Amino acid sequence: MNDPTEMDRRQFMATGAVVTAAAAMVPGVVAAQSLGGPGKPLLDEAVVKRVLEAAMSRGGDYADVFAQDSVSTSFSLEENKVRSAQVGYGAGVGVRVLVGQKIGYAFCEGFDEQRLIETAKAASYIADAKPGQIARIGAHDAVAEINRARVAPEDASAAARAELLLRGNEAAHGFDQRVAQVMGAYFDTESLITIANTDGVFATDRRLLHRLHFSVIAQGESDRRTGFYGGGGRNGFEFFEEFSPEDAAREAARQATAQLGAIDAPVGEQVVVLANGWSGILLHEAVGHGLEADFIRKGTSLYTGKVGQKVASDLCTVIDEGVIPGRRGSLAIDDEGIATQRKVLIENGILRGYMVDRQNARLMGLSSTGSGRRESFRHYVMPRMTNTYLAPGKDKPEDIISSVKSGFYAKNFGGGQVDISNGNFVFEVAEGYLIENGELTRPVKGATLIGVGPEVLRQVSMVGDDPKLDPGIGTCGKNGQSVPVGVGLPHVRIDKLTVGGASKPMAGMV
Amino acid sequence: MKSSESMASALSPELMNAARRCVELARKKGADEAEAYVENGRNLDVTAREGAVETVKQSESMGLGLRVFQGRKLGFGSTSDLRADRLEPFVERVLALAKVTAQDENNRLPAADDLRGGYATQDTFDPEVAKLPMDWFVARSIEVEKIAMAYDKRIKTMNSAGAGRYIASWGVVGSSGAEASAASTYVWIVASPYAEDENGAGQTGWAYDTRCHLGEMMSVDAIGREAGKRTVDMLGAQKIPSGNMPVVFHPEMTKGFMQGLIGALNGDLVFKKSSFLHDRLGQGIASPLVTIAEEPNRPRGTSSTPFDGEGVPTRNKTLVDKGTLTTFLYDTYTASKAGAKSTGNAARSYGSLPSIGTFNLRWTPGETKAADLFAGIERGLFVTRMMGRGVNVVTGDYSRGAQGFLIEKGAITTPVQEITVAAHMNDMMRAIDAVGDDLDTRGGTWAPSIRFGELTVSGK
Repeated sequence: MNDPTEMDRRQFMATGAVVTAAAAMVPGVVAAQSLGGPGKPLLDEAVVKRVLEAAMSRGGDYADVFAQDSVSTSFSLEENKVRSAQVGYGAGVGVRVLVGQKIGYAFCEGFDEQRLIETAKAASYIADAKPGQIARIGAHDAVAEINRARVAPEDASAAARAELLLRGNEAAHGFDQRVAQVMGAYFDTESLITIANTDGVFATDRRLLHRLHFSVIAQGESDRRTGFYGGGGRNGFEFFEEFSPEDAAREAARQATAQLGAIDAPVGEQVVVLANGWSGILLHEAVGHGLEADFIRKGTSLYTGKVGQKVASDLCTVIDEGVIPGRRGSLAIDDEGIATQRKVLIENGILRGYMVDRQNARLMGLSSTGSGRRESFRHYVMPRMTNTYLAPGKDKPEDIISSVKSGFYAKNFGGGQVDISNGNFVFEVAEGYLIENGELTRPVKGATLIGVGPEVLRQVSMVGDDPKLDPGIGTCGKNGQSVPVGVGLPHVRIDKLTVGGASKPMAGMV
Repeated sequence: MKSSESMASALSPELMNAARRCVELARKKGADEAEAYVENGRNLDVTAREGAVETVKQSESMGLGLRVFQGRKLGFGSTSDLRADRLEPFVERVLALAKVTAQDENNRLPAADDLRGGYATQDTFDPEVAKLPMDWFVARSIEVEKIAMAYDKRIKTMNSAGAGRYIASWGVVGSSGAEASAASTYVWIVASPYAEDENGAGQTGWAYDTRCHLGEMMSVDAIGREAGKRTVDMLGAQKIPSGNMPVVFHPEMTKGFMQGLIGALNGDLVFKKSSFLHDRLGQGIASPLVTIAEEPNRPRGTSSTPFDGEGVPTRNKTLVDKGTLTTFLYDTYTASKAGAKSTGNAARSYGSLPSIGTFNLRWTPGETKAADLFAGIERGLFVTRMMGRGVNVVTGDYSRGAQGFLIEKGAITTPVQEITVAAHMNDMMRAIDAVGDDLDTRGGTWAPSIRFGELTVSGK
């Protein structure tokens, strides 16, 4: 979701040549080729201690330090060739001080101790008391490596990475002669982070992330359609031995060509069937954001105070799981040094709990669920999702489709968004079909699904036995911060959901 | 070729020196051409909750982006480590990366001819803003929260209430002769309340102002009250039945609509025939009531810049003139491909390559009094908030979630939500039958209310 106030402010800052503090890319210090193993902290214990002392110099309940050193590499493909190759270095430290519900936050580039101390003092502005207590800095914790890699992407050659794009390009063009444009992008990043706080956490994690995607434009006799597909994760470059760039590009080409000749979407409330996989974006928007503890604490989410209550159909069990190896939303520890978990958010329709970070845990008398995340050292921590999915049901996907006399099948999606206060969410259908007499018939263009979170989950009447996570392409935006996430869903039948499109409403619907 | 702002303010000589040094090193190590883009930003962001400070965020960041062409191959890198001994390995890495990219004759920097004409002065740096103390932001945050909360007893809490400042400076050095720098200040106040009706159904709304100069800011009182009104007015929102009806866009919705439309003028998409407007230059694409300009040289504009991301001087220009499409937008690379000239529309941050963007859009206000836009509408929709991405510039399909108010017999009646508005952009542009006189001048994009004769609304 996007906080509208945040969007407004960012609109002017993000436009054109104007510099923005929240730029998406994270450049910085020139690192050596590849970062080392997770063992060695970015800041040594003595420095961490002095920085935390400066952070607590005006008092405070808690302070933490987040150091990051990262290198990102990307390649782009267009017009059948590798257009660009880019590298970005980012290194710096964020310092945070908490006093009750107040947050002081500051960051600086690099690891120069004098600047770290100044940064810590800036973060202490919100406190106004005697110096606070610091627990002894703990021994440096080793972190479980749930995301294993054989070959770090940064160790693969530039040519090998760029080659993935050329392979996909050729496959997409070979798929159908109506494929007019193929664009592709490869991105990887390797990031070492060290987290230390006044409660004694002192941990270092090495994080990898890669992603390859293609977008295709197909030209028909009278229309032009687009397709998009890609994948990635948090494992090594060996991922691309399994995940074929050719298949990914052909899937983008299939979507684009399948949509040629699509008709305008029918409007109004209909039976909607969601395909498995990437459709999990519906859960992410419809319920996920509303279960983040910051909205709950402030009372601005419509799920506030509803733990133990029925918020979805009996068929719905919603899980947020950060420990699935190699997935885009998976992390050994969150950005506050707490191990991530498998959290059951909704169990058979009953709300079981929220996603909680340290600050909200303290203020709400809850435990952190390992949900504290941040885009980088330049950003502050918020409760966020990891990989969010719906547990499988018992229905066969073909039975779900054949159960629908007249309805809409949503196979692929663009983005989505939610308004936490009233639960209204939207998501764009990138590939959709009419369902007529239990069969998929004509492709439909330009459809948007809109609903209210709890209402749509009550309308779930069939859940497939075909669970699937998305291929690793999702990025979630909240208050101007982007973090990689995973989503998942089996096939699902929703008895009533509004489909928005451009076709004239049928007689009788008005 | 320095702009006057750079004299008055703040781009550090160290950053410009690092930029010159990188360009020099790249050339020495074999680049045909090289360009460095640098930025410095100082940020202060304060929010209040329950009458006291909630968050204070402070930071200073800087960085450099280096673009090299070697044998007409493109490499790019960015870094914020500007220590002298780190620049050389950085430059070498960027040059090495360029080797895997394809040779492209259009890979070049702006020519001397493109850089001619001088840079305009825009008065975007206000020393008063730069000098504001922390207490000013704290006081405004607390005050705007108080005013918004006091607006109506149904306002239960705030999503956020805050104020902040950004001081930015940026510069570019290119081996083909570009050298320029500029600076801006920004100050903002924002409030976003949360309200509940008697059934516990929630709504949220917001209001803000953002300016380069302190003297032009709206009052805290006006922002807080507007935020309160926009929030409680939505209480009790209902879904309405589907139908085709007249639709009025609030100025903020016009802004988003205009940005989506202008995205289709991107010269790169046009060249690849990937924009729904690629073959419409010089043709009527909209109702004659529609005139849209880009104003990068707007005095005190929050997206004003004397030069684009490649150092090309920017100029104000009309993009759509009484419904006729008058220009596409190019940077140096796409202009070279299309056989056109750069229009000074290379937008960028130091962490990214130039891409085509705009600096300050303006939808020319019309003659119709904003209040009269509803006149004569038997049943229609006034849209005050939208969700989702909106326009697909490849196909021209437009489809968004919407919230707002029902218009009945010429007047606003009940709030509505959980509906969508959709059409093809070509049809939407022609359907505009009135443009309001209520130009909203907050932020870089300026727009009035507009009315569409008929759009498809999907609901129950």
